[in-house]
Amino acid sequence: MSDMKSLPLPENPEEALAAVVSLRHMAEQLERKAVKEAIARGWSWSQVAEALGVTKQAAHKRHAHSIQRKKARK
Amino acid sequence: MFKRIRLRFRDMKTISQLIAGADEQANISGEEKPGAEHFVLSALNLEDGSAKRVFERVGADSNKFREAIKAQYNEALSSVGIDAGAIETAPDPIEPKNGFHNSKPSGQELMKSLYTLKQEDKDRPLLGAHVVAVVAKMQHGVAARAFKVMGVDSEQLAKAVKEELESTRYH
Repeated sequence: MSDMKSLPLPENPEEALAAVVSLRHMAEQLERKAVKEAIARGWSWSQVAEALGVTKQAAHKRHAHSIQRKKARK
Repeated sequence: MFKRIRLRFRDMKTISQLIAGADEQANISGEEKPGAEHFVLSALNLEDGSAKRVFERVGADSNKFREAIKAQYNEALSSVGIDAGAIETAPDPIEPKNGFHNSKPSGQELMKSLYTLKQEDKDRPLLGAHVVAVVAKMQHGVAARAFKVMGVDSEQLAKAVKEELESTRYH
């Protein structure tokens, strides 16, 4: 992946904004996977929150329901 | 009058199916809230089949819409030098949350526009084609770009929707 200095920026706003949306989408997917993996490895919600730069409440609210339901099924 | 009342009840059921379907499509894609693109996927699964027929009218394969959504993300990432294929992992489906439905802003706009459109078309039941009609007017966003990836422009879509709705099927 290119570093930020050499990152080619689309010239037209449509492309640039589409890139923003796609980056956001990719970041959300990565976040979900990373949090799931962290919890599976025994990280606490406090640790996850600290790593993400959000409050523990925010991290838990965003991700807990999905992880807990998967655990319950096992 | 009775016909209108029957249509109303039928529309309520369709809306419920549309929203539930959009939620499901979002969750399958690893997203919490549905956007307009998920409402299109949901509309394609509605019993009336009109959304699928609109796709057929413009020569597009409705089964490829999900891929087109993914392709437009990949294209956009390529434009800033990111090879999505190199880092891609399949999205983890999300467990549905109980409670109030909530959509992304594009989904909310779609529902508002759908309501307005339906107010102007009271003699037909709410159909999947109406959902496509609303999305055809969206110039930007994931759904619009997905159609562009499929080589379908908004004018073609709008024309196809009009032809579908005017077909004798719904009178």
